[in-house]
Amino acid sequence: MTSKSFNPFEMAQSQFDSVARSLELDEGTRQLLRHPLREFSFAIPVRMDDGKVQVFRGFRVQHNDARGPCKGGIRFHPLETLDTVRALSMWMTWKCAIADIPLGGAKGGVVCDPHNLSMREQELVCRGWVRQLAKNLGPTVDIPAPDVMTSAQHMLWILDEFEAIYGERLPGTITGKPVGMGGSLGRTEATGFGVVFTLREALNQLGIRVKDTTASVQGFGNVAQYAVRLYQQIGGTVTCVSSWDQQDQTSYAFRKRDGVDVDQLLAVTDRFGGIDKGRAKELGYEVLPGDEWLAQPVDILIPAAMENQITGDNVGRISTQVKVIAEGANGPTAPEADAALARANVFLIPDFLANAGGVVCSYFEQVQSNMNYFWAKDDVLGRLDLKMTSAFVAVSDLATRRKISMRDAAYMIAIDRVAKACRDRGWV
Amino acid sequence: MTKLSPDEVPRFTREFFGGGECFSRIGEGELGGKARGLVFIKNTIESEIAAGRFPGVTVDIPTTTVIATGVFDAFVERNGLAALATSDTPDDRIALAFQAGEMPVEVVGDLRALVEQVHTPLAVRSSSLLEDAMFRPFAGVYQTKMIPNNQPDPNVRFRRLLEAIKFVYASVYSRRARSYLRTCDRSIADEKMAVIIQEVVGERHDRRFYPDLSGVGRSYNFYPTGGATPDEGVVNLALGLGKTIVDGGVTWSYSPAHPGAPPPFGSASDLLRNTQSEFWAVNMGDAPEYDPVAETEYLVKSDLHAAEMDDTLRWTASTYDGQRDRVVMGTGVDGPRVLTFAPLLEMHDLPFQDVVSALLDASGRAFGAAVEFEFAALLPRERGAPLRIAFLQVRPMVVSEAEVSIEDDELASPALLLASDRVMGNGADDTIRDVVFVRPERFEARDTRAIAGELERLNLRLLDEGRRYLLIGFGRWGSSDPWLGIPVAWGDICGAGAIVEATLPSMNVELSQGSHFFHNITSFQVSYLAVRHDRQPNIDWDWLRAQTLVEETEHVCHVRSASPLRIKVDGRSGRGAIWHA
Repeated sequence: MTSKSFNPFEMAQSQFDSVARSLELDEGTRQLLRHPLREFSFAIPVRMDDGKVQVFRGFRVQHNDARGPCKGGIRFHPLETLDTVRALSMWMTWKCAIADIPLGGAKGGVVCDPHNLSMREQELVCRGWVRQLAKNLGPTVDIPAPDVMTSAQHMLWILDEFEAIYGERLPGTITGKPVGMGGSLGRTEATGFGVVFTLREALNQLGIRVKDTTASVQGFGNVAQYAVRLYQQIGGTVTCVSSWDQQDQTSYAFRKRDGVDVDQLLAVTDRFGGIDKGRAKELGYEVLPGDEWLAQPVDILIPAAMENQITGDNVGRISTQVKVIAEGANGPTAPEADAALARANVFLIPDFLANAGGVVCSYFEQVQSNMNYFWAKDDVLGRLDLKMTSAFVAVSDLATRRKISMRDAAYMIAIDRVAKACRDRGWV
Repeated sequence: MTKLSPDEVPRFTREFFGGGECFSRIGEGELGGKARGLVFIKNTIESEIAAGRFPGVTVDIPTTTVIATGVFDAFVERNGLAALATSDTPDDRIALAFQAGEMPVEVVGDLRALVEQVHTPLAVRSSSLLEDAMFRPFAGVYQTKMIPNNQPDPNVRFRRLLEAIKFVYASVYSRRARSYLRTCDRSIADEKMAVIIQEVVGERHDRRFYPDLSGVGRSYNFYPTGGATPDEGVVNLALGLGKTIVDGGVTWSYSPAHPGAPPPFGSASDLLRNTQSEFWAVNMGDAPEYDPVAETEYLVKSDLHAAEMDDTLRWTASTYDGQRDRVVMGTGVDGPRVLTFAPLLEMHDLPFQDVVSALLDASGRAFGAAVEFEFAALLPRERGAPLRIAFLQVRPMVVSEAEVSIEDDELASPALLLASDRVMGNGADDTIRDVVFVRPERFEARDTRAIAGELERLNLRLLDEGRRYLLIGFGRWGSSDPWLGIPVAWGDICGAGAIVEATLPSMNVELSQGSHFFHNITSFQVSYLAVRHDRQPNIDWDWLRAQTLVEETEHVCHVRSASPLRIKVDGRSGRGAIWHA
């Protein structure tokens, strides 16, 4: 475990403290919610392919389950820290609460680099992780999902080990499973589509017709691709996307003023979301430096790649034409940029509202898995739209009523819901 | 009626009943013909039937939202269904392929929101672009589906709504629609479908949901009787859903200028036999079987006894007095009920007739042409309760002004093929040489379904060859009951330029006179002649059999005459005839 100067858990606690003051939460509730309910830290011994035993460190942090079983991903990362997992578990609690799904927040991880592990070794890490935690997982307790450097394959190993321990089929234990193995239709699209559902509502509230708008998107991974696709389907025009170039170890922006064609770009995109710049040029795209996505003269910006992309240093490059920012990625806007955007009257849809489509659809997957009855895709996406729209309306109403930012309003609603659940249960 | 811009119609705000707008749209694109008619009638109501003109009466259109044509395009494209339009895939397989398709993500949230707040029946109707562009009716070509929408689980309601929309979508690619479009010189590639989701006007009675009456008003009457004139128009009324009228079932017909005129029946017992005895309702109970590709999946037919139990006959029924062989107005005495609508039309307690006449006038003026509209009404059960008349759709009528006369000596000509004193249409034609006729010597009522199939194939071939034809068959064309006639849809016979509906001793029924295909016949100016076997002159079967045989199937012959037939139909006098020289 490596310690870092930036401590995400301290940041999460600081955010919580600020909202707790606004909500005038009592001291007991504050103490309960600013720390996780349960933390598991354990060793996972694995016999490696060379015959030696290596011991990995695993975590699971269950921040709060007052509103329902815990939900959160499992990360495989060499720099994983318990504090990172703590912070992420807290944010999961707020994200589930703002989406108003009956789940709490959790996060887990293993300190490892999957790039250096064979598939067999990765399988043993997954199975070892479950054996340590089996008593504290399950469809009614805590439901893991894929996250950084974990995939549907890892989830199936985890599920298989869990079911072997309990001697029954319990597909609702895990989400992110492949379709046909307990996965949900619509899960792939859910996060990107969810971003656009909230964006559509924002434009509607601002009295702007989607077909009169243009957008620039950072990233061309899963979230960005589906966000671009749906936004264009409802009439908008995306003029710029950006992507990471593995070979050059830098990012590029790809601009087409009359609108990018998702299918055309996908044909020249690798599986990590990297667009081939040579072939993109042949298709008529201008290839620009990666940070140019931010400076485009568009109405909407959708950062859908990484955290900390709009900062105090570059916020001034944003065009005065921009009216809405929809945060598809987690934490793309630094606090100082947040303040500058508010001064510029830019309507910002905060990350844990805009990108909650993923966890909402994970919840749907869990419900379907528990029933062992699976819905049609239009069923899934129809429900997703309503959930996302309702969440947006609740946040926007509060922001308007209290004259606060969308981010503050979202935090207030989420934390208030969790605090109320704790009170109702008699915990505080 | 000017073209309707989609921007004139507000977006659906996810509040179907409480949103302040009774007419909204979902998605991008055009809104189609029915939607345009509805906006038109809404505007007409607002301007002509101003609040207060008819106290105690609500005149409106049912709450409606239209899924624009762009959604159909996206549905077809994203589900890879376009190839079906030119394939030989049977209609039922096309319908199933559409059912398996996914609705575009842009609209599923709106549809989900709609069913989450609405628990009463919904009608899902086609509103096609060509219908709009051509002023042509697509009745009997595209589908309509009623759904009860009363299941406690919103998931079930949502699925049923999507199934109904996909069912309507699939009808664009049906063989019958493709044939029909060819008669309009259009291809399926030109067609786009909007879908109307509309509140079903009615009330729930036990497991049935229906209006007290449905009606069709026409400002031009092709069949004037008694002292009525064509320009006075005609109104057809039926108990329950309008399907009875649209399908050409038995209805009550009257002239708005003479609502109390005695009906054209020889006796009260005739009247009893020839008035509506069954009605359609939405089935609010369990559907008999799951069948998303059946139009009538959620419809139920009931008899007048059920209606009396529901207390829906108060304004619409009279009673047959068998001892005196007369009909007594109302339901105050025991006896068989007869749907004469006399309490409504003769008693003047409700301004029903005044409102309908005012609407016929107003829409005729606004269109600048003869019009036809469908409506449904809820009649008050208590004194002082409001009367509601809701307009479901409106369209212009095609009325030929040609002067045609048929002299008596023409009817005595040896070249006479057939003659009729019950016709529909108006005009003369001397271009048709092909005759498709059901073989009288082989005709049996049990074969009518097979005959319909043979006719459909012949129709397709003649369409390919670009030949219009004279069609002769027995019983009610388009009957939903195969024992009363040949159960074709309009698309199965749409290449016919003239249609003869005849009786036989073995098929001696009251003829439909074209009512099943009223819209199509009038719109395409097809001549329609009813010929009874027991009246002279009869059809000259010998001449027909002597013509060049083009094709013969088990029940149907296709022959070709060396010279064109001469067809004359005088809509004013109701007479028509066809000569072979």
